[in-house]
Amino acid sequence: MLTRLKSNWSYLAIAALFVFLILIPFDWFLGQYTTLMIFVGIYTIVTVGLCMLMGYTGQVSLGQAAFFGTGAYISAILSKTYGVNPWLAMFIAAAMTGAFAYIIGYPIFRLKGNYLAMATLGLGLIMWILFVQLRQFTGGPDGMSGIPYLSIGGFVFSTSLKRYFLVWFFCLAVLLISQNIVRSRMGRALRAIHGSEAAAESLGINVTQFKVKILVLSAVYASLAGSLLVYNITVVNPQTFDFLASVKLVVMAVIGGLASIWGAIFGAGATRILSDELLLRFGEWDVIVYGLILVLVMIFMPEGLFVKLKEVFERLRLRFRQKGAEP
Amino acid sequence: MSKSLILETRGLSKVFGGLVAVDSVDLAIETGKITAIIGPNGAGKTTLFNLITGVYPVSQGEVLFKGKLLNKVPPHKRAKLGIARTFQQVHLFGNMTVLENMMTGQHPRSSYGFFEAALRLPKVHREEENITLKAMKYLNLVGLGTHVQQNAQSLPLGQQKLLALARALATEPQLILLDEPGAGLNTLEKRELSDLVRRIREMGVTVILVEHDMPLVMGLAEWVVVLDSGQKISEGTAAQVQKDRKVIAAYLGEEEV
Amino acid sequence: MSSAQFVQYLVSGITSGSIYALVGLGFTIIYAVTRIINFAQGEFVMLGGLVSFILIHSAGIPLVPALILSIIITAAVGAIMYLFAIRLAKKASVVSLIIITIGAAIFIRGIVGQELTKEFIRLPSFSGEESISFLGAYIAPQALWIIGIMVVVTIILHLFLTYTMVGKALKACAINPIASSLVGINPKTMALIAFVLASALGAIGGVVLAPLTPISYNAGVMLGLKGFVAAAIGGFKSPVAAVFGGLLLGIVESLAVAANWGPFTSAYKDAIALIVLLLILLFRSGKLAEEERAG
Repeated sequence: MLTRLKSNWSYLAIAALFVFLILIPFDWFLGQYTTLMIFVGIYTIVTVGLCMLMGYTGQVSLGQAAFFGTGAYISAILSKTYGVNPWLAMFIAAAMTGAFAYIIGYPIFRLKGNYLAMATLGLGLIMWILFVQLRQFTGGPDGMSGIPYLSIGGFVFSTSLKRYFLVWFFCLAVLLISQNIVRSRMGRALRAIHGSEAAAESLGINVTQFKVKILVLSAVYASLAGSLLVYNITVVNPQTFDFLASVKLVVMAVIGGLASIWGAIFGAGATRILSDELLLRFGEWDVIVYGLILVLVMIFMPEGLFVKLKEVFERLRLRFRQKGAEP
Repeated sequence: MSKSLILETRGLSKVFGGLVAVDSVDLAIETGKITAIIGPNGAGKTTLFNLITGVYPVSQGEVLFKGKLLNKVPPHKRAKLGIARTFQQVHLFGNMTVLENMMTGQHPRSSYGFFEAALRLPKVHREEENITLKAMKYLNLVGLGTHVQQNAQSLPLGQQKLLALARALATEPQLILLDEPGAGLNTLEKRELSDLVRRIREMGVTVILVEHDMPLVMGLAEWVVVLDSGQKISEGTAAQVQKDRKVIAAYLGEEEV
Repeated sequence: MSSAQFVQYLVSGITSGSIYALVGLGFTIIYAVTRIINFAQGEFVMLGGLVSFILIHSAGIPLVPALILSIIITAAVGAIMYLFAIRLAKKASVVSLIIITIGAAIFIRGIVGQELTKEFIRLPSFSGEESISFLGAYIAPQALWIIGIMVVVTIILHLFLTYTMVGKALKACAINPIASSLVGINPKTMALIAFVLASALGAIGGVVLAPLTPISYNAGVMLGLKGFVAAAIGGFKSPVAAVFGGLLLGIVESLAVAANWGPFTSAYKDAIALIVLLLILLFRSGKLAEEERAG
């Protein structure tokens, strides 16, 4: 009985979110935040993948921006320099990024803890150096511009309204798919790995293969987000994918809650809004605040801000219900 | 009449650096029997389990399951083949409920993958229903059917061990290895454990248990193997082993010659 | 390449290697005593250089006192970081601790960049700018200071760890934390000392480096990474091995650029350290996996 009520609540919440998102771009509602929300949608896609990777398998990625960047650059290069259809370019980028993740996955997951973190850090930096140095392809430190918009037939996703719905279509699809995975035996296997790798193996779970698959999934998500980014702002440059970018992604995941899917929206949104606001008022204080957030959240609420808020909400609701039951 | 051996080890050895943890152990476990492995602390019993389940690679010797060589088979595949185990430190999934732990036990018996899960195809719904039914079946078997939604770690130790056992059973194994199932249980719980082990044997599952509680072992085991310092020093029925001088000496440390 | 050029590159490699060695020493000490990888290690180097600069130019303090003061200040930052970021985290998981030290690192970097300066700064050379001629190569005197100080510091550290009570206690803690706590060594105090030592070592590195190479508030990332590689080569256990690792990395880097080998132009110089890092991790991963299983 209790579980059914709980899931009714979550369907309600998702429905409310849906309506909220549809209304945003209208001027009488929150229209001026359309562009901001486009970025929130894009970063949510990356964050969900990272949340699953870090939260469900307990593996750390300090180089997620590498996947984000390869998706962006491959799409940009294919569609701008070689005139490939943008949709196809996006697909190819995702496939290549996924393959890349697969190749590095098995060797990387032989490492644990600190060493794994360092390896991801190193890989992220190598990719960034490549983005900057392979001038003939990537345009070097100044990047590339003039990347085409996505289009279906004659319908071009050029205005911010159209791009908004495009991005959130993908974002919600990704969220739903992730939700489905988490609620399946794959999700149980992932959580089992986080709980006890030894016990998971004894139950027939191929631990390393799962870790690699989740890495590939997170890489594909990040690549998709990267493609959507360049088809949105029509430019690409390496600063977007440096070490700090990977750190910001970790911040988003941490705030959203490392084991939470829908929390990713909160994480990406909160971080984005925070960084825009801070940038506006305090110049580059955003970096300092990120540092502080990381430290404080990991010390006091390692399960993530969003999940913590959910807990508080649950406790209040129970207290409320109890009060009602008392005569 | 030849016995059916579900598990055999031949000259099985494991060396860690300079330490020989398991020394040339030969086992012949008969199908359908309850076998106990006993021995003083540090005798290598858990290491032996880890060799059988594939957690440790073998240094020397062979492990055979139903006549098939297991040496190169990774642990997760051995689970699919029908070998289940419990751990001394329980190793429940503390981030999941009782039911979810059980449903994870059905992992080797279900088959849908990431793609089907992502799209929530009908196959997923069908298998999930089946998984839930089986999970409940084994949960009820051990008497934990009412604790379904509780977080696994919130249970008292005795129930946690039961849950771990039930979870291993949910893999529907042919052979189950129990690592000190009685540790930390009170007398009543140990009696219930014995009954449960006999019921498991009735279901056709071969049981091997490592235990320190002598009355529990002697009342339950149809065959006993004694290890000391990594070597097999005796085996036989409970009565035979109890009278073996070598066994007594091993447990008491030194003795008369 | 002429022998003079070779000597030039070699010395350059040993010089940068000495800095990596100092950073690597810091990583090794903290990891050995606390099992934590301190991602903020590179920031201590940066602080050493930048704080000295501020003290000299804004507070008018003469060179040597400024250097010493900045080392003390950086050590204090290390202590504060341990006390407030790490000690408070208690039973945090490895992932959490990693994220915490990263958070501390970018916090420090950000504050320095915002409140102090974003410019590249240089400290005055310790003994003048005139190059010394050696085997046909021209060496900046500061390079000799760097190498010399690194050697002296390593020797002092070794003596400290081997012959003083505190040093021996640190070693004991590194080898067996449980046993050492049983004989009265407080692991928290040891951890604090480790952090203070590591940050001081980093600061020394920054102080000797800044006269030779201008550094900015961002210098910590790459230096930290390369110091990590140095420590990784040394297995995170032995200070001497970390020094060896740092020198090895510095020389390999320098010679790779000198040889103009394929893609290794100076633009890719940083990538060399990363590649070495990944090779080490790959190489050690097999050994690590065995250790995990047995433990």
